[in-house]
Amino acid sequence: MKPPEEGQVQKGPLKGIKRGETVLEARGITKRFPGVVANDQIYFEIKAGEIHAVLGENGAGKTTLMNILFGLYQPDEGEIFIGGKSVKFRSPLDAIDMGIGMVHQHRKLIPAHTVIENIILGHPSAGKILNINRAGDEINELCERYGFHVDLKAKVWQLSEGEKQVVEILKTLYRGAEVLILDEPTSALTPIETEKLLTSIEAMSKDELAIVPFITHKLPIVLAISDRVTVLRRGKVTARLDTKDATEKSLAMEMVGREVIFRIERTRVERGKPILQVENLSALSDKGVLALSGVSFSISEGEIFGIAGISGNGQRELVEVIAGLRNPEEGKVILDEIDITFSSSLERWQRGMGYIPCDRIDVGSIGDFSLVENTTMNYYFDDNYSRYGIVDYKKLRKLTEEIVSEYGVATPSPDTQAKTLSGGNLQKLILARVLSRKPRLVIADLPTQGLDVGATEFVRNKLVEAKKGKAGVLLISEDLDEILSLSDWVAPVYEGKLMDIIPGEKVKREIVGAMMAGLHLEGEET
Amino acid sequence: MWEFFVRSLDASTIFTLAALGELIGQRSGVLNVGIEGVMLFGATLGFIAAQSTGSYLLGFLVGIAIGGLLGLMHGFFSITLGVDQVVSGMGIWIMGFGLTTYIGNPYTGPLGMPRIPSILGLSPFFYLGIALVVITWFVLSKTSLGLRIRSVGENPSVAEVSGIDVAKTRYLCVTIGGMLMGLAGAVYSLDYNPVWNYNFLMGWGFIALALVFFSMWNPFILLSGSLLFGTLWQLSLNPQLVLPGVMSRYIWRMVPFAITLLVLLIMSTKWFRIKWGAAKPEALGQPYVKE
Amino acid sequence: MRIGSYELKLEKRGTLSNWQAASISILAIIFALALFSIIFILAGINPLSAYREIFSFAFINPYGLPPTINRFIFLLFCTYAFIIPFRAGLWNIGMTGQLYAGALGAFAVLFAFGGKASLSADLSLEIVIPFMLIAAALGGAVPGAIAGFLKGKYNINEIVVTMLLNFIIFWLVSFMIKEGGPFMNPGGRGESFELPPSVYAPLINNVPFTIFIALGLAVLIYFLFAKTKIGYQIRAYGQNPAAAEYAGISPFKIPLLVFTLGGAIAGLAGYHYFAAVPGVYKIARNYGFFGDLAFYGIICGLISLGNPIAAIPVALLFGGLSVGGRYVQGKLSMSFGLDYALLGVLMITLVVFQFFYRYKIVFIKIGKERTDVGVLR
Repeated sequence: MKPPEEGQVQKGPLKGIKRGETVLEARGITKRFPGVVANDQIYFEIKAGEIHAVLGENGAGKTTLMNILFGLYQPDEGEIFIGGKSVKFRSPLDAIDMGIGMVHQHRKLIPAHTVIENIILGHPSAGKILNINRAGDEINELCERYGFHVDLKAKVWQLSEGEKQVVEILKTLYRGAEVLILDEPTSALTPIETEKLLTSIEAMSKDELAIVPFITHKLPIVLAISDRVTVLRRGKVTARLDTKDATEKSLAMEMVGREVIFRIERTRVERGKPILQVENLSALSDKGVLALSGVSFSISEGEIFGIAGISGNGQRELVEVIAGLRNPEEGKVILDEIDITFSSSLERWQRGMGYIPCDRIDVGSIGDFSLVENTTMNYYFDDNYSRYGIVDYKKLRKLTEEIVSEYGVATPSPDTQAKTLSGGNLQKLILARVLSRKPRLVIADLPTQGLDVGATEFVRNKLVEAKKGKAGVLLISEDLDEILSLSDWVAPVYEGKLMDIIPGEKVKREIVGAMMAGLHLEGEET
Repeated sequence: MWEFFVRSLDASTIFTLAALGELIGQRSGVLNVGIEGVMLFGATLGFIAAQSTGSYLLGFLVGIAIGGLLGLMHGFFSITLGVDQVVSGMGIWIMGFGLTTYIGNPYTGPLGMPRIPSILGLSPFFYLGIALVVITWFVLSKTSLGLRIRSVGENPSVAEVSGIDVAKTRYLCVTIGGMLMGLAGAVYSLDYNPVWNYNFLMGWGFIALALVFFSMWNPFILLSGSLLFGTLWQLSLNPQLVLPGVMSRYIWRMVPFAITLLVLLIMSTKWFRIKWGAAKPEALGQPYVKE
Repeated sequence: MRIGSYELKLEKRGTLSNWQAASISILAIIFALALFSIIFILAGINPLSAYREIFSFAFINPYGLPPTINRFIFLLFCTYAFIIPFRAGLWNIGMTGQLYAGALGAFAVLFAFGGKASLSADLSLEIVIPFMLIAAALGGAVPGAIAGFLKGKYNINEIVVTMLLNFIIFWLVSFMIKEGGPFMNPGGRGESFELPPSVYAPLINNVPFTIFIALGLAVLIYFLFAKTKIGYQIRAYGQNPAAAEYAGISPFKIPLLVFTLGGAIAGLAGYHYFAAVPGVYKIARNYGFFGDLAFYGIICGLISLGNPIAAIPVALLFGGLSVGGRYVQGKLSMSFGLDYALLGVLMITLVVFQFFYRYKIVFIKIGKERTDVGVLR
């Protein structure tokens, strides 16, 4: 059936299954974690040649189900059948042997290796001495068959996100996968790459491959490619329907449960004088490539300035340049009319800049330090808390107690180590520490990433509070809803450039979405 | 002059063998800063074994075996117990330094055996060193095993999901690496300078460690670096052969170390890192804990 | 692993209390000494009587106690030279070179005051000794600062750099004191000129005054880390350099600072051993031995987990062990290097015990509730 493999890939249990027959079936899958039932009696099946999307919000149990199907977790209850036989996966390797392939959202590739090396890594038939040419021919045939384009001799770090995903798909196909699990397949792709991917997915489904995309937001994608959809909500299957019977609206209803629009009322605060001015800023990434070019904007008192974009489009460099952790190649950063382009970070903090980093664990906190010592990170340079070079830990302990209770950080004592806090609590602590200094400018880099709904709302409300207190807020987010509901100005960013700066009340979701992908939509007013 | 040339190549061989051992381990992601300790052990026990049995072969085998054992021990500490690789390596160095001083002391003095015959005027180990460099290069870049080793050194969790046993691969590499370092020590004490003395290495292992950083983890660059430093080292020992009367001999002894520092400095500049920096194994020095 | 009806399991520790840390460290030392007795047994000596000899010589014998105290002071300096960078997450294994450089600095002062020319030179103690101390600290600080600068500015591995500097300075000392070097003994021996008796370090009960400097440093370093802004910055950098940089702590200044301080303290160790210990008063021919002893400082620093107060008893113990070891080696006619072997055994034991700072072993009775009867908890 598949000439590229020519029998050197072991015959999986799924070989010879015809279109329309069930290849994988999961019955009554239940998985509990302390305090939550992540999957509750889930039934799922997929047939050969079918594209069966799994839809659900963050926290609906998608990731758990996916990990169970791929052998990363073992279910507490329920069974998985492959080709009609009950199977148990002790590890992903078992799942791979049974013909299941997974394309992770966080790439599982080695950047320093070439594409071919990544694809044949760990392949049972790779041989003692690598036959790069033969493998290359076989992979090229796969590429032709499904319309993938990637330079097999290139190093993976040189590839775009879309190409990396292609490499991952090729790797699973080359390993003989018959069921392809795709985790958020289009989340990091540009529209053109998405288009190409969808074409390839269709080609694969024609070859009797079963394809299971797991998708959070992009309903149009689901409607465009899938044959069937299973919707998850709070660990349960709420709907299973043929795509032709579904609409965007009906899917959204099933996913969320009711017609809810997550929206914080945008409060207008009278615009004050400018706090931060960024002029024509350009900067290099760690690899020495231009990652930020010619960015200019300004933030005034009482404003939230939202930068919308997929990570890796220069946000990190922008934040680091403003925070003084990276030197710009060109341009100026002005805080309260003082040029701070080359000031140290410390000086910026002292001048009233506050920064909530996106990496809470490795940058925002020190795990082995107590909460008091973590609070000290933003206070050791403050003359009210350290004098003649001696830190007043007593006063800081009192302050920590105050902010911990004010922000509702759940902790037994201010002397516990920060690493014992949950993600949400840690973020609250960081927020408390930064905002309690009453900063003039708050930089919030992905402030709600990975938080549950309650913590997310809390963080957003605190940012709005800061704005009401006449601070300027620079908000970086991948979450379009977050940006749209909070920002007074929205600036979509793509490949290191701001596509536009749009006043909050005039913003249209589709336009921003397109700009995040590098496109200007015609015919709309801006 | 010919004598100086031959001795330089002998010294280079020792650097090559030891640094190659370190390179193999580092390629799999394990840093062993204890090379000097492993070399001291290989040299001392190899010396004792050869002297007491009169067999060179046995001497080298003991040197290789103790090196392999110490490599295995470093693997056990850093891979299985998850001890910081630097701590473990420092431990092996200080242990080697301390114990060999005690163990070897009764054997202080010359080996007292006929010299190992040379092949075409050069030590047989020189040819062995070159062969091992070629083999290491071939295995690392052309074989499936090499791809596995490199993958484990770059990103162990990706290697694991691709079906590679990370711990086993790393154990293999540190053990083979240790064997090469032990061999390097034995070559020193049985062939290059067959006299036992307290702490006789005086920095060979640390220069070898630096050589691995210089080599960009490429065996051929490593070989050229070893040739350069072997010559330099020999010159620092016998400056009168080339530049008689220039500077005190003690100042000459400082030269290889000072040059090593200088090269390290050049390699660490931003210009150099952006141009060549991608070679370093990404996971070097990081313990891998299975999820 | 199963033993009888119990299962042996490793558990990750949460936080380590001071008492837990101390008991693990004490266990590590006991374990090392037990391991070390194998060496006595192999030499046909009863380890218990050997240890009795070691301890009674080192801590009771009137000939043994003074060298123990002198070595204790020396080790304490070396330990602090290690601890300060260690708290910043950096490894100073350059105490050897730094202490040689400190000794050269101190002797340079004597040289300048004409101390080489004549043993009977009548130098003013109050003037010369402070200068010698400052010069020793500066001498040690220079190689320290080089390592710190290279680490902070170019991120060059500090272990390799400090080790390379050790060798460079080792040969520099040889150059200075041997074969016609500027500090060579006027008598033509391959060692430095001797200290004029007029600037012998003041003794209190036969103990050089440097003990007060060492103990004073203990308090100062403790205070530095517990209370001061700089101490906080060093600790934050040591725990998480990225977070420290985010908090506005310079990733350049901290390495430079800790290595300069560490080097300066190691320099004082050089002054202490070559210019303050009675009976030495020169850079001896076998100065390498003192350099090697400095590595005990690494072990002291690791066992005391970077706590300068805890380092005091540890340094005293190791000082005694190394002095006593040398003594029984002669008395029981064992091979040279017993104190070196002890160094090696202690170090490798400590490596193993690093594991127990992070994990504990618990016994679980199979089929029943966890009983949590643990060793090494």
